[in-house]
Amino acid sequence: MTNPPAGGSLSVVTDGTPSDVEVVARVLGGDGEAFGILIRRYEPGLLRFATRMLGNSDAAADAVAESLVRAYRHLAQCRDPVRLRSWLYRITGNRCRSHLARRHTNDVSLSDVPPPALADGSDTWAVLERGEQVALVERALAALPEEKREAFVLKHVEGMSYEEMSAVTGARIPTLKMRVHRAREALLAALEAFV
Amino acid sequence: MIDPRLHEALDGERDPAELPADLRESYARLTGAVQLLEGTPPVSVATRVMAEVRQIPARVHADNPARRLGRWLSRPRAVTVRLRPVWTLALAAGLAAILLLPSGPENGGAPPPGDRQGVARFVGHFPGARSVEVVGSFNDWSRGTLHLRDDNHDGIWDGDAVLPAGQHEYMFVVDGERWVADPLAGRYVDDGFGAGQENALLIVRPAVLPPSPAAQP
Repeated sequence: MTNPPAGGSLSVVTDGTPSDVEVVARVLGGDGEAFGILIRRYEPGLLRFATRMLGNSDAAADAVAESLVRAYRHLAQCRDPVRLRSWLYRITGNRCRSHLARRHTNDVSLSDVPPPALADGSDTWAVLERGEQVALVERALAALPEEKREAFVLKHVEGMSYEEMSAVTGARIPTLKMRVHRAREALLAALEAFV
Repeated sequence: MIDPRLHEALDGERDPAELPADLRESYARLTGAVQLLEGTPPVSVATRVMAEVRQIPARVHADNPARRLGRWLSRPRAVTVRLRPVWTLALAAGLAAILLLPSGPENGGAPPPGDRQGVARFVGHFPGARSVEVVGSFNDWSRGTLHLRDDNHDGIWDGDAVLPAGQHEYMFVVDGERWVADPLAGRYVDDGFGAGQENALLIVRPAVLPPSPAAQP
């Protein structure tokens, strides 16, 4: 799990594009169109995070859209634009938690979706099609408790440090480490049970 | 219970190649699962978000520069005067009294509130602070519009503001960088951004003429 983070925890941009701090200053100065730079920069990661949290791409798109509009409205309230990414993930995580809390009973989460059927004698991970593998992993992830799922996704899928995860979730680092460890154990057990 | 060596490898603290064969298999299974989760959903909300953003008045963030300049020029300024020679005390006190005369609509000496407006008094104890200001839902959380004063240098900072009647959220910003929820507010609401942080809550009631302080945080 050495995947690089989808974006740095700090707004250091070295390819000539404006830093987060510069873009935030432009938006706060009245250039609302500059907010599009931040959307392009962080939308993919936020959508991935929300999708993994909610297990539903439509709900994830709604949560991210609501979060970005909310971020725009309250940009002046971002106390440390250098850590804009953490702030955006925090808002999105909060939206996801709200969504999960009021999820309607007729919503179908991935944990409710039956696992793909395996042909007789083909119960090995290697013979599964990639789509089936994805479905199995998503199902195992969706079965995790919300806090452990969030910790695992932020750590391993979004590639955050524990310090940044703490800024996103408000949880203490030892707590987050414990959640990640428990999530790994549960995920591994679930994957081994599936195949 | 996972072998601690597997956690160390997953945290990048141990070379996975050093793991025993069974742990290497678990490592591969988990890293393989993560790779499957790294795909980005093939959707975008950018158009939808920007369409909504364009409907939001620009004043949410920006203010007319001329208006901002006028407000900056007319705003009372807190001046720190270091009194070393005793004989300067009277002179400095007189100077401070002139410089800190309230003149703006957002500090002490606020104009009478209009219909559906009230006067809010903000008070905070911040000994040693160089500056204290108030940001909140009533000024779009913008700094530089509502400064409190500590005329007596006793650490008690206060100031008045005419605000629309109703409910407002606010925070103190101490020394330009430290955001503090008013410890005396009594009422708080989640700031909506998760992480358990709260804003202080203020309810402003319409003032009754003649104007009188009608609201306390």
